[in-house]
Amino acid sequence: MTRQKYLFCYLMVAPAMLITAALGIYPMLFSLWMSFVEYDLLRINEFGTPFVGLDNYVEVFSDPRFVQTLFNTIIFTILAVAATLGFGLLLSQVLNINYRGRTALRMLVCVPWFVPPAVASAIWMWLLNTDRSPINFLLQDFGLITSNVRWLTDSATWGPFSIPMMSIVAVRVWNGLPFAVIFLLAALQSIPRSLYEAAEVDGASLMQKFWYVTLPMLRPVLAILITLLVIGGLGSFEINYIMTGGGPQNLTNIMAVYSYQQAFSFFRFDLASASSGVIFLMTGFISIFYLRSQLKGVA
Amino acid sequence: MTKRPTGPASSNRKVLARHTTTLALATALTTATALGAYAQDISFWTQPQGDLLAYQDLFDELTSEFRDESGINVSVEVINWSVAFNTWLTVAQGGAAPDCADMYWLHSFSGIGAGRFGPMPITEYRDRWPTLEADFYEGALEDVHRNGEFYGIPWRVDIRPMMYRTDFLAEAGIDAPPDNWKEIVEQGLALTERDANGNVTRWGFAPGANNNPGQTLMPYYWQAGGLMMSEDGRTATIDNEAMRTTLKFMQDLVQVHKITSPEVFEKSADPLADFTSGSVAIIGSTNNSWPSQFDRDYAELEGTWALEINPAGPTGERDSFSGAGYWGVLYGSSDVEACLDWIEFLSQPEHMERISEVSGAASPRRSVMSSALWTQRPWQEVMAETLNYGHTSQHPSAVWNAIASPEPGAVLYDLVYNTVIGGADIDAAVTEAQARMQAELDRASGN
Amino acid sequence: MMTITVPDTAVRPGLWQRLAFANKTDLVTRVLVIAITIALLFYILLPVYWMLKSSFQPNQEIRVLPPIWFPGEPTAQPYANANRLIPMWRYVLNSLFVSVTAAGISTIIACSAAYVLARFRFPGATIILGLILLTNLIPAITRVFPIYFFIQDLGLLNSYAGLILAYVGFSLPFAVLMLRGYFESAAPPELEEAALIDGCGYFEAFWRVILPVCLPGIAAVAIFTFLNAWNDFLWASLLLNQGEMKTIQVGIGDFAQEGGGVQYVNAFMAACVVATVPALVVFVFVQRWLVGGLTAGSVKT
Repeated sequence: MTRQKYLFCYLMVAPAMLITAALGIYPMLFSLWMSFVEYDLLRINEFGTPFVGLDNYVEVFSDPRFVQTLFNTIIFTILAVAATLGFGLLLSQVLNINYRGRTALRMLVCVPWFVPPAVASAIWMWLLNTDRSPINFLLQDFGLITSNVRWLTDSATWGPFSIPMMSIVAVRVWNGLPFAVIFLLAALQSIPRSLYEAAEVDGASLMQKFWYVTLPMLRPVLAILITLLVIGGLGSFEINYIMTGGGPQNLTNIMAVYSYQQAFSFFRFDLASASSGVIFLMTGFISIFYLRSQLKGVA
Repeated sequence: MTKRPTGPASSNRKVLARHTTTLALATALTTATALGAYAQDISFWTQPQGDLLAYQDLFDELTSEFRDESGINVSVEVINWSVAFNTWLTVAQGGAAPDCADMYWLHSFSGIGAGRFGPMPITEYRDRWPTLEADFYEGALEDVHRNGEFYGIPWRVDIRPMMYRTDFLAEAGIDAPPDNWKEIVEQGLALTERDANGNVTRWGFAPGANNNPGQTLMPYYWQAGGLMMSEDGRTATIDNEAMRTTLKFMQDLVQVHKITSPEVFEKSADPLADFTSGSVAIIGSTNNSWPSQFDRDYAELEGTWALEINPAGPTGERDSFSGAGYWGVLYGSSDVEACLDWIEFLSQPEHMERISEVSGAASPRRSVMSSALWTQRPWQEVMAETLNYGHTSQHPSAVWNAIASPEPGAVLYDLVYNTVIGGADIDAAVTEAQARMQAELDRASGN
Repeated sequence: MMTITVPDTAVRPGLWQRLAFANKTDLVTRVLVIAITIALLFYILLPVYWMLKSSFQPNQEIRVLPPIWFPGEPTAQPYANANRLIPMWRYVLNSLFVSVTAAGISTIIACSAAYVLARFRFPGATIILGLILLTNLIPAITRVFPIYFFIQDLGLLNSYAGLILAYVGFSLPFAVLMLRGYFESAAPPELEEAALIDGCGYFEAFWRVILPVCLPGIAAVAIFTFLNAWNDFLWASLLLNQGEMKTIQVGIGDFAQEGGGVQYVNAFMAACVVATVPALVVFVFVQRWLVGGLTAGSVKT
């Protein structure tokens, strides 16, 4: 009987494993290999790909831009995840309450999800263009500011933070919010009403209900959501690349953009692989925690 | 006993059927394409210029005329600019490639291809064009030669004269656009306007018409008498007085005179919108396709703009940015002779004239530039004259395009951005850039 | 124990009635929440509105300051232009085909794998799960050339099959992980055991009993895969960038020209709208399963 069970298991897993091997593991190994050899497109046909050990990693870490980029990536991710989570929790609560027009509101909230990142970047670039921004115009009209805010180009910094960084976080959150809202909505619906009613009987206010009933019940889902958002955030690319290319002066540069530039603008695939190897390590760490928590169930 | 389920299993079969169909379709398509290659067919890829539809229509006509003449079937594929770079990069590494194509950046793609992929030299066939030097502008021919080898026929020249708003100049009482760098500053100051809050509503001067610092720098640097590298492509030559002069000039435009927007090199910059909406008065080095585009799409601006040859730098030079696209053959081509016949056909004066008309691009063929087509409008004459001052933007090193890449982190990008926009110390920046550029050149020349 | 009457959900109270509050802190909370929600809604909808309105305006009106919020004479000309410049509708169909197929295949494969990984213990299960998780972490850029040449070697370059294969491959790890978690929590083992006792084979138990219960999770994963495929530009531009088979995202990229400046801004916006709408429609269609079917969770209480 067990043999039949095992056969069944392996058969079911086979297609997934095959495809993962071809499109996931093979590129991963190839890219890891690329980070330990010299892979310069301009030299490869003459000099091949000699092994250079950790040289690429050393070269990459001695680039001051890289180190700043590393910090940027972490900060971006933290900001984006925090904002997405915060607003997501709020919106999903609002959308969870039963009232007329709820479905329409849900649809509206979800719309940014369907706007491809490239399109979203194009439109937000328009809206945040210093000289022509309707937002700048409105703000000046209402007397809130006196000169155009340089949303994407102001290089003033407060510690690690800057205006372009905030703008891009705003765009990223805009794109990712619906995902979080849907996720949380689905989870919220599985919280039994009786718990809330019990709290109400005890005279709990809204905030208390949220804190003591909703959040604890959501914890497992929150863990998954945070992991997903962080992994997605660390690898995020299009918005930063299209809107600022990592500028001004490296303020919005993130690992994925740095890696892309190394490969496609400077033809250094070895450095690109090394820098994405670093992200790989970072996301690896996080995933190990996630995996641990998942595997706890499989005693 | 369990009944045989109907619902899920039948949809299971449907999925299987769809699966198989997709697979079958894919196989059929691949086979069909493979078969098609055996007829006397050559494939030709081109990037579009000017109006997309007109360009495609033109090539439909040209291919059918060519087929009538020679019996060779050319299948044309239009590669859009948004994917062009990745496409050619992949070709240079062994990816799917056409027999012949409209290409650019000879040095880089040829360097990467290193004799196995990408553009192929056709030096042995050069005598098909016996009067090449006489027929074509020198600057354009530079773009099709590398290491003494000949690679194809240039067909469009990206030449960048100065462009300005005649109405704004008239308003400010200025008779003629700037003739030298000093006048750029004077006129720029007169033309810059601000609103009540101090926000600039019109910038007097924009050095270029795209957000590429490297490209913007070049004409001014040449006008100051500088050169980017030695002729063999091995030594960087940017640590000199000319570079310091140029950077100081550009830095002052932004930081001291404040007649140039500090946003010009950002990804979000929109030079076309700026000029058409009147936010910029003078562009030092305009985008090559704008004049014909303005004629076609911005009729309401008729009479308010004009071209002029570039102002002279401190040495009196008026170098203008020039870059040519060319038709060439690729390694792995299935029929080199047929490709050359096609290129020869396209390079006939009457065909180059049609191409120039539809694409709106200046032609590297002298006869076209002096024909009726290019003498109708005043701007055309200016463009033709500017061709004489054209200085090729390509350089004999495969790594040039990495050095001049419009991405932060590239040598020239950092040099220009940090000094002009960031206000950094010019001496230090130039020294650093020289070192970095030399390191890059060493990469390609095998050090 | 006191019984509390639960409001009958068949009679939907209006939003105003729901605002009846019990105590004072609730009022503050509610006001804050509403204020933030309105601000969020504005933030969410502004770009969408801008895109929509620009697709109906002549080019000059779009760039002007002060901004024109309501098109004076809305015209559908940009849509016609967009279709002249690129075969827009054909591209939309291409995108639909590729995305739906990829979502379908990916979901089936992922369901199979996730189910056994969630339910059964068999040698190698942990390793397999670990490997699948690992491949989820690779940034797309470093995969580019290995995968390009792999697909080329298979002869599937510039074919629907090649792109679909790529999308299935990229979406599998996420799908498997999500579904595994979902299968574990949403479908109790008792259901399965009951089916097995009845004499079902393993596969039949899976098909007839577990899957129907888990439809919401499956629908969610299918939608994510569909959307990722629909929105993707990098892979579509690399693997399927010639002829009539291009996807709409690549088609939109065709609008951008060298030298900065988009030639037909309003047509570009029109194409953007068209690139967004079908995905929205598919979502509306599928979302019934997403949220509605979750009452299956009532087995837990």
